[in-house]
Amino acid sequence: MLALVISGLIVGIATGWVLQRGRYCMNTAFRDVIFINDYNLFKAYLLCLIIVTIGANFLEDIGQIEELRRQAFSPIANIVGGYIFGLGIVLAGGCGSGIWYKIGEGQFNAWVTILGFVIGIYATKNGILSPVYNFLRSFTVWQTPDGLKALSDEQVIELWDKGVDVVPPTLYSFIGVNKWIVIGVLTVIALPFIFRGGVQKPQKGYSWPLTGVLLGLVVTLAWWASEKWGGGARGVSYTGPTQELFKFILTGDTPTWGAMLVLGTPIGAWLSAKGLKEFKLKAPSAEELLRVFVGGLIMGFGASVGGGCNVGHGITGFSTLALASVVATIFIILGNWTMVYFLFIKPMKDMDI
Amino acid sequence: MADLKSMEPTETLDVLGRVCPYPLVLTKKKLEKMNSGDLLKILCDAPASAEDSIPRYAEKQGYPIEVVKLEDKGYWEIYIQKK
Repeated sequence: MLALVISGLIVGIATGWVLQRGRYCMNTAFRDVIFINDYNLFKAYLLCLIIVTIGANFLEDIGQIEELRRQAFSPIANIVGGYIFGLGIVLAGGCGSGIWYKIGEGQFNAWVTILGFVIGIYATKNGILSPVYNFLRSFTVWQTPDGLKALSDEQVIELWDKGVDVVPPTLYSFIGVNKWIVIGVLTVIALPFIFRGGVQKPQKGYSWPLTGVLLGLVVTLAWWASEKWGGGARGVSYTGPTQELFKFILTGDTPTWGAMLVLGTPIGAWLSAKGLKEFKLKAPSAEELLRVFVGGLIMGFGASVGGGCNVGHGITGFSTLALASVVATIFIILGNWTMVYFLFIKPMKDMDI
Repeated sequence: MADLKSMEPTETLDVLGRVCPYPLVLTKKKLEKMNSGDLLKILCDAPASAEDSIPRYAEKQGYPIEVVKLEDKGYWEIYIQKK
């Protein structure tokens, strides 16, 4: 238990530190692509993704991780949930990881977003919205020896009992090649894009390549540490662990590795912000607090239905190459762009300040 | 390059307390309405906006920018000259 708590906290602190130093908000990374046509943070994201994907799959192949947990493909839930989560992060002014590290910078609005987020998760998974949740997640598609098939949970268990090889579909099982071929092709496509153009060093904090590399290493480390001490490989994620943290605090549930990671994130960000003399308690207007609260609720719903947030799907899940995570990530980005358009780009044309 | 912060700003934009990404959104909007050569002074206390997204936007546009951090006050003064 002690090793679980300490390793979770340490990885959380490291994550929070890198996010704050890199000013790495994935909401911003996606937004800037269409808002100011800037790709720096998006490049950091791709760089991180390449490192984690290679790192996690390598650890799996050498047996350091027994199995990377790949999510079952629930197409409707992954698409709808991902898209709604993407809309929510723009309203909330922060993503699944962003809201936790911003607490460490003293941003009171992040507390309010987290309150909305956790209420949204509970209402969706356990509360009044659970019928919607169960309905949307009831359509699942599995990789069988005869290709992709829509199967119910009962059918899957039945097939497993018969010894049939039924697994969550991945990019490589879908195409029918070795996973390293897919990883290689994606890397070869991404690298020229990432290293096109130069790197400007920011005044303080990390440049985007350093942020991408460090975050990639931390998330790879998280895969390994969660396997070794956390009761199973899960990597860095925020949706499930946020709920687990609140369960631990409010109902006395045993703390999970993920809950400790979530707890460590604002601590790491706070240490980093203190070091840069950027920590300051601040609160926006009541109007903005209400907006971020609603954003948090929407995020909680979307992430629960979709099966993860921008980190759980966007980085950790993507590194397993599970179709669920790849599809959810694409729709998180599309949701973000949709909301950025309607909230900022369109109104700006006739907004008067 | 002229020392922007010693010049008299044409306009001042106060985005203290505004949540990301409003500092950037309001800065972008303000600059679009200003004339070439005008100097905009922005007061901002959001680290990611002041240190990252606003400077990246200004550089993208080719506008000279100076970011001054007032550590005692806990916020930044940003000077951008529209070109």
